[in-house]
Amino acid sequence: MYATAEMLVMTPEAHAAEQPQEEAVETVLVKAVLSGDREGFARLYDLYAPLVHGILLSRVPRAEVDDLVQDIFLHAFKKLHTLRDSAAFGPWIAMIARNRAVDFHRRSRETVEINDDLRGSESHESRANEILELIRSLPEAYRETLVLRLVEGMTGPEIAARTGLTAASVRVNLHRGMKQLREKLGFMEGL
Amino acid sequence: MKDDYLWDKSGQPDPEIQKLEEILGTLRYQPKPLELPEDLPVSRRRNYFPLLAIAASLLLALVAAGIWLRVRNQSAPQPDQAKVSTPSPVEKKPPERISPTPVAPKDVIAVNNKHRHKPVAPALSKREREEALAAKEQLMIALRLTTEKLSLIHRKTQNTTPANQIKNQHRVG
Repeated sequence: MYATAEMLVMTPEAHAAEQPQEEAVETVLVKAVLSGDREGFARLYDLYAPLVHGILLSRVPRAEVDDLVQDIFLHAFKKLHTLRDSAAFGPWIAMIARNRAVDFHRRSRETVEINDDLRGSESHESRANEILELIRSLPEAYRETLVLRLVEGMTGPEIAARTGLTAASVRVNLHRGMKQLREKLGFMEGL
Repeated sequence: MKDDYLWDKSGQPDPEIQKLEEILGTLRYQPKPLELPEDLPVSRRRNYFPLLAIAASLLLALVAAGIWLRVRNQSAPQPDQAKVSTPSPVEKKPPERISPTPVAPKDVIAVNNKHRHKPVAPALSKREREEALAAKEQLMIALRLTTEKLSLIHRKTQNTTPANQIKNQHRVG
């Protein structure tokens, strides 16, 4: 059993929900990469790309997300030796993603995102983009948690474990964020 | 519990959340291979111990050198400051005849005089002074002769051929 940073900040309830094997895997993978194993990083990418994708999706235009995911993992590969705690890879790369999103808005000029409506794609996807815009209009603490839960399909304990947030914070963010989203969507009248 | 479904997808499913999941699921991450440049070196943890060891050794050597210099300076005699007094501007006495007895000068440029204090020469008698002057004359003559001889040898060596130079090396030396 590996003791990681995530486990220290998580509640016993979240501990029980979390799979210890996976935590061990990421710790082992980081150590493997640091000792020269490139394949280990590909595995880390598979594990954490959805998290980074979700964080970016809640902050930057959708068209930019895929390129930024690649950039962030490339940066992480170069700077992995600066990660002190191998078990804290998730919180570390989440922080890189958030910083990169801030950086993106600082550097990029005002752009108009072309919705799928204009591209004439399916209505399901255009509705998704509309809801995503509503989520992006929520307070920052709620939008990331909601995107990870509703878009990436992660559970609350998974979000807590991957981002390094406490389970209690994630739970509060999910419920308050969901409440505000319902109000914006007008769920009372039906979706 | 609907709250449980939002939290960990357990319990009774919330139809509204399920609908949102269905719609927003279209934006979900689509797995793509990571494109890492082949020539990009693997990030490795740097071992700073050798650098730290070298830096510590240098620092230690510097400190030791500093202490040694300080101790050395403290044990060495401190030179006294030169004391220069300007002569009084007006007093212009007629040239005096050299008195037979040495008179200690009033204003002296003394450097490091703590250790150079020499006892003042005792007053010599007239005979002793004459003898000393005669000895000095002889010494001066001897020095002049030596100088002349050295000049002569120098001139000779300048005029000789390289073969002679080698031959006469022992004389010059």
